[in-house]
Amino acid sequence: MKRWDLIVIGTGLAGLTAARTAVEMGAKVLVIGRGMGSLALFGNTIDVLGRIPPGADMRAGVADWIAAHPDHPYARTGWPGISEALGAFRGLFPPPYTFDPVGDGNSLVPTGAGTMRPTYLLPVTMTAGAGMSAADTLIIGLRGFKDFQGDTVSLHLQCRGVNLSLPRYGLEGLTALALARLMDEESFRESLGEAIRSQMAGEKRIGLPAVLGLKAPADVLGTLERITRARVFEIPMLPPSIPGTRIFHRFREFLIDKGATFLLGNPVIGAEVKGDLCEGIALQNPPLLTPHHAKHYILATGRFLGEGLRADTERISEPLFHLPVLQPESRGKWFRERFFQQESHPIHRAGIVTDPELRPVDPGGRVILKNVRVAGSILAHHAMIEEHSHEGIDIATGYLAARRALGS
Amino acid sequence: MDLQTEVLIIGGGATGAGISRDLALRGIPSLLVEKGDFTSGASGRNQGLLHSGARYALNDPEAARECISENRILRRIAPHCIEDTGGLFVSLPEDGHEYRADFIRACGAAGIDTEPLSTREALSMEPKLNPLMIGAVRVPDGAIDPFTLVVENVRDAEARGARFLLHTEVTGLIREREGISGVRAIDRITGEAFTVAASQVINATGAWANEVLGLAGLSIGIALSKGSMLITNTRLSERVINRCRPPASGDIIVPNDTVSILGTTSLRVEDLESHEVTPEEVSFLVDELSRMIPAIKGERFTRAYAGVRPLVQTAQTDDDRAISRGFALIDHGSRDGLEGLITITGGKLITYRLMAEKTSDFVCRKMGLHVPCLTHLQPLPGAGRGHTFQDRLLRLRNQVPAFRRELLCDCELVPRETVDAILREGKVRELQDILHRTRLAKGTCQGGFCVYRLLGVLNERRKEEGLGSSNRILKAFLEERWKGIRPVLWGTSLKEEELIESIYKGLFNLTPDEVGPKGGGSP
Repeated sequence: MKRWDLIVIGTGLAGLTAARTAVEMGAKVLVIGRGMGSLALFGNTIDVLGRIPPGADMRAGVADWIAAHPDHPYARTGWPGISEALGAFRGLFPPPYTFDPVGDGNSLVPTGAGTMRPTYLLPVTMTAGAGMSAADTLIIGLRGFKDFQGDTVSLHLQCRGVNLSLPRYGLEGLTALALARLMDEESFRESLGEAIRSQMAGEKRIGLPAVLGLKAPADVLGTLERITRARVFEIPMLPPSIPGTRIFHRFREFLIDKGATFLLGNPVIGAEVKGDLCEGIALQNPPLLTPHHAKHYILATGRFLGEGLRADTERISEPLFHLPVLQPESRGKWFRERFFQQESHPIHRAGIVTDPELRPVDPGGRVILKNVRVAGSILAHHAMIEEHSHEGIDIATGYLAARRALGS
Repeated sequence: MDLQTEVLIIGGGATGAGISRDLALRGIPSLLVEKGDFTSGASGRNQGLLHSGARYALNDPEAARECISENRILRRIAPHCIEDTGGLFVSLPEDGHEYRADFIRACGAAGIDTEPLSTREALSMEPKLNPLMIGAVRVPDGAIDPFTLVVENVRDAEARGARFLLHTEVTGLIREREGISGVRAIDRITGEAFTVAASQVINATGAWANEVLGLAGLSIGIALSKGSMLITNTRLSERVINRCRPPASGDIIVPNDTVSILGTTSLRVEDLESHEVTPEEVSFLVDELSRMIPAIKGERFTRAYAGVRPLVQTAQTDDDRAISRGFALIDHGSRDGLEGLITITGGKLITYRLMAEKTSDFVCRKMGLHVPCLTHLQPLPGAGRGHTFQDRLLRLRNQVPAFRRELLCDCELVPRETVDAILREGKVRELQDILHRTRLAKGTCQGGFCVYRLLGVLNERRKEEGLGSSNRILKAFLEERWKGIRPVLWGTSLKEEELIESIYKGLFNLTPDEVGPKGGGSP
């Protein structure tokens, strides 16, 4: 019977970070996921805490936040923990496709709705967006590509917008993935660059939907900037997310290279628990149930979308280990009356409560499973959507969970 | 802008649209004003049931006969608005055989065809039915698309000279000597006020009848009853499924294209805008209807909604003009000494044509005309054109070349061309108007993806016109969508909700700050 050092359940940014951290520490790691996780949906930039005003000091901002929210997942890591984990993340993306802050703290980047969104680390393909101004920016839409509406973006940002057609390539009806693959071809991006140049009226920056290639986005950026002689940036848009897919691919490539094993596509449907230890998990691989065993386990299965949490008409539950879920007292209290309210919906703060080492605890604070750690958005006491803290929580807790599991 | 017409119709529901067409076919000019879009009231907030009348056979044979007669007429004149699903009345053990026997006899007396089915036969037709059932009865129920029905009436009337003003609210009735000679109205979008002179004013505002009558200091006895419904993510049955017991809440499941609609509840309300569906109503409908189809317990619901039915209080409809127990036609000339004003209210979707016929007959009598009704004979213009998912798929294949298919909505197959065509017509004034006229926002994601795309199409036009934009429309839409979704958020629906919140609040950073006090707004 093969026994792993660590089994990571979940292939979102939390699970991938945990796996990568463990691999770096020399552990034999099995990663199990149903698919690409939320990275392929929303992964774009790395948010840490959007509530901190742009330009303000992150260290002080996070410290204030923790003081006001002592149960928040960031209270487990503090700024030093976040910072260390982010450093490790950035180490995975060497030049030319790097992730960096713009200026000292958060910066604002344009979105596919024409709004500005605060974020912390930007891929090199998005940094030029952070400094854009209405007067010097041209927004390029691709006619027939429905998930990025160029006119919505340009009208809201009050800058010039142009919708391009490239009849030779028949872009109508293409998906983001198909476009990104076209971008990987030098001849296509040269045609696109020429088409953009013919539309320019002295603009210094060009905003495009976030589809600038899967394999070598920095090369795509280089080609377009060379031809247009302007700075080019990607604008995050409706899922699926190409930039998030790049992050996933980079982690997977690294993990496989370092000897981790990836099992994608089959759900974990049960855990074997003896006392306060998990002895194994069962992977469904019809018609078989395959057991896997490890010294340590990290649960990074996400929230409802990732099926880390489930809800029937009465209660919210955690389906794998049946861990207690902190939650509002009844379904009537899950959501507020209006969709947009200043306070987030109470259900968002539901989740798994842990000890400082991220081990799940019961309502009395006793550790339930000593060799299981919980990381990412499944944790209780945060509202990642409104806080703009999703990636930060994933990276910081994924990193911490692996370090603690492997005894560091 | 002051207007003039022979007959002014207030209300763009099925009744108003039906009257407009009926008058047009008789050669009488009319103008219809509606404060929102077509079917904004009960006509757009019902189950889309083509009644066979069987539900009324035992306790209201007259209504049953009316239903089956209209049922047959509508199948003839509006086949493209109808899916001939057929219906079953299902008996559970606690319902007993006795009621079923009485029911079959009463249907026979009302002229409604029935066919008794054994449990085995019923299960082979509808495998999701509760196998513990003790039998079923087949009846000629069906499903009807109210919006298409209304728009088809309008289209035909318009082609024959009738006029329509949407988003136009009547703010006053103009009195002249002993009667009403017209109305004051306001365009709700531009704010422009104007008058319409008319020799007859027809109040066809359904549950809003007293709002209009109040402008003349009048009122009639109407009770408001809220009915709540749930929409499933998949279609549960081929046929309409009724419970074979005395009429009660939670006794019907109507298939609607790719989904099913579960209904209904009945709660007396005071407020015309009582559209909130409570968690108790949701739980009740799920529990009660899962007795007929147990799979409902695990089903995903995409939306909950409610309509307010106007119930005419019989004691007060004794104007000698009460045509049926179902609806009331009131001549305010004889009742209140106010000539030129008629109210038509109550009734059901299935009897809209009959209500229009009776109203138009009355108008003719008033005008001294002898022109017969033609609406039961003359099919609606689009008859023969299908509206099912399958039809849309076929049209898409035939009309839009594969390399140009830009589907704004992937769930319900709405190509961009459909929206472009609506915009070209130029009559659409609000985002919701477009949503009414297409299947956008009616699928699994309830508009989460397609409304962003639709807004892009609208903004493309705004840019051409040199207009700016704001996210107010998008946020107002999400807020409106929330009302329907919030009551059914559990299970799989929660996944969708996390996705939508992650997109709009997370990725797009839409915040509450700019949300106006009221939804809507011009695109």
